[in-house]
Amino acid sequence: MTAQAEIERAEETEAMTVREAIRMGLREELERDEDVYLMGEDVGKFGGVLEVTSGLWEEFGDERVRDTPISEAGFIGAATGAAATGTRPVAELMFSDFMGVSMEQIMNQMAKMRYMFGGKTEMPVTVRTTEGGGMGAASQHSGTVHAWIAHFPGLKAVAPGTAAAAKGLTKAAVRSDDPVFVFENKMIYEQQGEVPTDEEFTVPLGEAAVEREGEDVTVVATQRLVGESLQTADSLADDVSVEVIDVRSLYPLDTETIADSVRKTGRLVVADESPLSYGVHAEIVSRVQEEAFFSLDAPIQRIGTPDTHMPFSPPLEQEVLPDGDDVREAIELIT
Amino acid sequence: MTRVGLIANPAAGRDIRRLTGGASVVDNYAKRRVAECVLEGLAVVTEPPDVAVMPDRSGIADHAVSEAPDDLAVERVEMTVEESAADTRRAAARFRESADAVVVLGGDGTTRDVALEIGDVPLVSVSTGTNNVVPTPVDGTVAGAAAAAVATGAADADAVTDRHGRIDVRADDVNGEKRLTGLAAVEITDRSFVGTRAVIDPSELVGGVVSRAHPSDIGLGSVAGCLEPLAPDALGGVALRLDDPEATARSVSAIVAPGMTATIGVTERDRLEWDEPATFDVSDVVVGADGERELEVVDATVEMTPTADGPRLVDADAALGAAVEAGALVREGPLLEER
Amino acid sequence: MADYTLETEEGRREALRRMLTIREFDSTAGDYFADGEIPGFVHLYIGEEAVGVGACAALEPDDYIASTHRGHGHCIAKGLDPKLMMAELFGKQDGYCNGKGGSMHIADVDSGMLGANGIVGAGPPLATGAALSIDYDDREQVAVGFLGDGAVAQGQVHEAINLAATWDLPAVFVVENNRYGEGTPVEEQHNVDDLSDTAGAYDIPGVTVDGMDVTAVAEAVEEARKRARDGDGPTIVEAETYRYRGHYEGDEQPYRDEDEIEKWKEQDPIDRFSELLVDRGELTEEELKELRDEIEAEIEEAVEYAQDAPLPDPSEAYEDMFAEMPPEIERFASQARADGGSLGGDRR
Repeated sequence: MTAQAEIERAEETEAMTVREAIRMGLREELERDEDVYLMGEDVGKFGGVLEVTSGLWEEFGDERVRDTPISEAGFIGAATGAAATGTRPVAELMFSDFMGVSMEQIMNQMAKMRYMFGGKTEMPVTVRTTEGGGMGAASQHSGTVHAWIAHFPGLKAVAPGTAAAAKGLTKAAVRSDDPVFVFENKMIYEQQGEVPTDEEFTVPLGEAAVEREGEDVTVVATQRLVGESLQTADSLADDVSVEVIDVRSLYPLDTETIADSVRKTGRLVVADESPLSYGVHAEIVSRVQEEAFFSLDAPIQRIGTPDTHMPFSPPLEQEVLPDGDDVREAIELIT
Repeated sequence: MTRVGLIANPAAGRDIRRLTGGASVVDNYAKRRVAECVLEGLAVVTEPPDVAVMPDRSGIADHAVSEAPDDLAVERVEMTVEESAADTRRAAARFRESADAVVVLGGDGTTRDVALEIGDVPLVSVSTGTNNVVPTPVDGTVAGAAAAAVATGAADADAVTDRHGRIDVRADDVNGEKRLTGLAAVEITDRSFVGTRAVIDPSELVGGVVSRAHPSDIGLGSVAGCLEPLAPDALGGVALRLDDPEATARSVSAIVAPGMTATIGVTERDRLEWDEPATFDVSDVVVGADGERELEVVDATVEMTPTADGPRLVDADAALGAAVEAGALVREGPLLEER
Repeated sequence: MADYTLETEEGRREALRRMLTIREFDSTAGDYFADGEIPGFVHLYIGEEAVGVGACAALEPDDYIASTHRGHGHCIAKGLDPKLMMAELFGKQDGYCNGKGGSMHIADVDSGMLGANGIVGAGPPLATGAALSIDYDDREQVAVGFLGDGAVAQGQVHEAINLAATWDLPAVFVVENNRYGEGTPVEEQHNVDDLSDTAGAYDIPGVTVDGMDVTAVAEAVEEARKRARDGDGPTIVEAETYRYRGHYEGDEQPYRDEDEIEKWKEQDPIDRFSELLVDRGELTEEELKELRDEIEAEIEEAVEYAQDAPLPDPSEAYEDMFAEMPPEIERFASQARADGGSLGGDRR
């Protein structure tokens, strides 16, 4: 289904930012299920360092919106233990760059317990975290690390590119009985979009969305690059018909929607902010060549961070940060 | 040359009363610091005594030796270390032969272990334990100075020490004769097992004998002291038989452990002379000394006898007062004209 | 009421039975590992039985425990079935984890067992998390995190205890100080003498007890449990104990000598407790022998059960990755199911 159709199917929508959409999703899930609670550094009174959870502490109190010590291994570990014992924690890792601090609990406990125990545990935990460069936050607060989680068996990973996806994926993550990481690009918190207000609206894990239909080339994008690719597509509309897909779910990955599009257009650009080598781009390219090799009319193009860290100084950051212009150049190269 | 022995029990002050009551935590860092203070205090007299320190595996003795003031000769006692109460007793036995005064860092349990072996050597007991009826909360530096005053003869040992009593316990049960000694108190609890040593639940106390009594003598001594105090150096002791306060005509509100008060019913209180035993017929109990459970006894007669053979405890204030009178703390400088 | 408590004669007998079961289970596991019938590696709990059994004797059946790599003892102390444990060690379908966990990952969350754990120090955060669930749901349980002396040096242990202490969660942390972190003596790994001294940093009580005395461990954990249930937060209980075997089976132990091991064996927790029960007239030497024979037979039966149990079908490898299997795995799983196991290991 195209994203447009999804929105149109919804009885009521409201224009709001990605930040508001996530907050709406969290609020609805907190209201729906008493087992759900939020925890993380400054998610409560402070309202989240990037204000995503603002107002929720006032609404739900400090049992359900819990400020933790600056202790990622401790609270991610506690969220893991809590998920195994009957509650549904939603933990916020302030910046995904801090994930390393808690990586032991993520990779050896959260991801493996269900499997190692022969299914003898549940693991309904959600981890929300922020990614991405563009605000001069330098290397330790600007990384895009979602490929680690998408790569690691036992974990699910989503990365919304629109406000609607942000709400729908957040809710699907909270409702999932599996550990799901929600990667929020911090540069699109202010991005507006139509969001279904239905409390039952979710975006199923493993479903990509065609955000813009086109005939000549497919751009498969994530997060901030979804919006930028849509703008690029609009600006190129007179010359080339661009289809834009928001991957939304990194793992599981909707191979079918992407392959179907490539079968139609014969050309593919993959745009994701994570470093180029050994990552999300490689996975999408591999699946396309497995499923639609004979439909390809041109070499697949990849847009991503050129294997550097995110530098501080604005001209340096702009140099390595992939954007809509990079997508345009890639499209022009193969059409 | 005079000599002072130093015994710092690494195991003191770490038992379950940290958890069940309000006992303060005395970690080994704190004990090392106290030992350091003792050595500093010993150096206060004009001709400081040599110092021998009980060795341990917790670094207390090592630290004391390495941090000692330059003008103090400090050595470790040559002995094997078992990391048990036997270490304290072994060191005390050495000091009985070789020391003029001993400083002990510990609680009632450690002081009792020292007392069993120390004979007539004057003892300065500094509380770093959990239960501290006998030791006093004196600063380590003051304790060291007092020990130096006694050891060097600046203070007359007879004038600045008091003889504490002790209570000897003998029990015959199916497994033979068992013996135990307490300093301030020996007590019977009707719990079956010796587990974590400390008396956890005051309602389990069924009786015992004390050598001293005062509401501030935490434990059985407090129970006895609520009725009638008995000074530490007074003659004899007191035997108590206890029960549920609901079942007795008289009960007292006593301090039974650090951080723990209780209402205890007293069915009987008997004043005992030195060497006059009190006997208890028991079925399945634990006999303890100074708040620590020690002996499991089944179907036996337990005999508890106060005796006058306790340690000679130094009154630190009196010892330093005597040192002042002896001029031991004043150093005459060269006359101005001789400079 | 707890499964067993040291306060009754029956409970004491049960505690002895569990200690004996642990010893028999682990010495048998060691034998079959040496014979090559048990794959991977095993860490045996022999010598430390009083800690697991003492701690679990102080717990209620629905309390949680998070265990360590040396977890067989905790499993048996918590009431897991030696048959299913042995089947897991043998890598069989009927094992607790369908053969996917092995010795180091036996778990049964419904029985309150949050898993043995191959990562040193990983259990305490899970225990803190279980305590968070308990607290959040106003349940009457506690969560016990077992950790070894080596784990006290782990950062995540500090984070877990700090979080539990800050939030007054109903947790108890039981430090099994068996004198060696793998092959390095405890003194060379920590600057504090008593590992329970770290409690001061969290403003919670820490006690050190004789870990070769099941009664002492039980009493301390019972008090810690009461404290946790009263809303006063966690406690650190350090149990001083000793492992008789190497860190893992096959460890040549160049770091210690036989004399030291023999000296600790004089304090053997099973001998001490059984002698006590005999002294008290609760148990005769004859009954003790019968109990030992009974347990020997039970473990023998567990081995037979494990040996006879079926190996997992290769398609089992694809099960339990997620609550909802993603297509990425489904394609391999359906292939394996279609192959009926005959092409086990083929990836396409």
